[in-house]
Amino acid sequence: MKTSRVTIIDYGMGNIWSVVSAIQHLNVEVNVTSIPKDIESAEALILPGVGSFKKAMEIIRKLQIDQAIYENIAKSGSKILGICLGMQLFGTESSEDGHSLGLGIIPAKVKEFSAEEAGSLKVPHVGFDQVHWKKESRLFQGISESSDFYFVHSYRMLSENLIGKTAICEYGVNFLAAYENQNIFATQFHPEKSQTNGLLLLSNFLKC
Amino acid sequence: MLSRNFRLQRVGDLDWLRSNYNFAKTSYSIDELVVLDVTRDKKDINIFSKTLKELTKGSFVPISAGGGIENIESARQLLRSGADKIVLNSILYRNEEVVKDLAREFGKQCIIASIDVQLDVNTEYVAMSRNGQVREAGSAQSWIKKIAGQNVGEIYLNSIDRDGTGQGFDLGLLEILPSESSLPTIIAGGAGNSEHLQIGLLDRRVDAVATANLLNFIGNGLGNARRDLVENGIVLPMWDLAEIVIPLQTKLQIGRYLD
Repeated sequence: MKTSRVTIIDYGMGNIWSVVSAIQHLNVEVNVTSIPKDIESAEALILPGVGSFKKAMEIIRKLQIDQAIYENIAKSGSKILGICLGMQLFGTESSEDGHSLGLGIIPAKVKEFSAEEAGSLKVPHVGFDQVHWKKESRLFQGISESSDFYFVHSYRMLSENLIGKTAICEYGVNFLAAYENQNIFATQFHPEKSQTNGLLLLSNFLKC
Repeated sequence: MLSRNFRLQRVGDLDWLRSNYNFAKTSYSIDELVVLDVTRDKKDINIFSKTLKELTKGSFVPISAGGGIENIESARQLLRSGADKIVLNSILYRNEEVVKDLAREFGKQCIIASIDVQLDVNTEYVAMSRNGQVREAGSAQSWIKKIAGQNVGEIYLNSIDRDGTGQGFDLGLLEILPSESSLPTIIAGGAGNSEHLQIGLLDRRVDAVATANLLNFIGNGLGNARRDLVENGIVLPMWDLAEIVIPLQTKLQIGRYLD
């Protein structure tokens, strides 16, 4: 059953307008909020994000958005999609600007692409790049195999030992490009910036 | 809208753009859209952000915006109006602290350093700021080295001499990039056809090519250029051509972009 209303969490960091625009393009109502009560009761949540992990977590904790997210995903029938920094915030911790704890929704750490990993490749990883997903993925349903998605990040998560469906992108190292486990979804790339593939993926998220 | 030619050419206003351009459609042929406010007099961030929002509606591609950004609030306003990255130019020469602050606030991957370069009488490359009106003392090479060491995510290197001429990029510009630079580099200024884009993309030092020419003056120039590049073996990102139509029709048509 398709979601009729998406709640986008606004904590002051991120390309809110682009995400709103994409969801509206898919003919779904959008609510942008930072109010914990609205976040908690949402049918579907999107946590976007651009910028510093540390700063984002500070704001999210201060506004009690973290609690609202936990309450929301514990309910049946709700779901959440983390995009870019949003996905990283789902992680357990990040080494960006020192060390900070994440939401812990995805049991993976966030670290910078190391010199050994990147090799001669430039960091940040910017641009369209191929993603390889598992056949049973709900997010990538119906999307052509050699499609590219838009990435812009210096930090990454790895997919080792993760339960749930993981999708990989290779950039010196195979890093976590997308994740889905029950009602938790996340993409390191920006679906709202990935042309039609991205719109299809968002459409799939709405149908999950 | 003005062509970002340093000998400015007026192309049309927002209404003209709306009736002659379908940015949403054009966006499917490109990897990224760069929108710059090149107003010569006092720039107005509110007008620009409003324009940006309108222009980019229906474009689901990365958007970089800039022109006169000198503080966090202007940058934030653009980022909330559809921009994913901020393009900085004059401030790079004026105030390193602001650049640091912007990188700290938004992440350096959000910052594009736009460097306008011109050949001076001694055939040395010099850097220009304020829409090509102010010459920055010293060589462009030393400026680029300094800027590349600051917290920026990408370098957008533009040839003022070639800009708007359609005569091809000045690849000589690439010589002034620091050899140990690991920053993604976009070359701009002069592209007139897909061959120019191809030559640019084949250079090892180039990560992306930019053009305003094909966009402004030649029909489906960008779409054709992309097709030509791919046919000539240049590896470009691929996506499905899907018409996700709203609100009354629900048919989803999917076809390969190039066939």
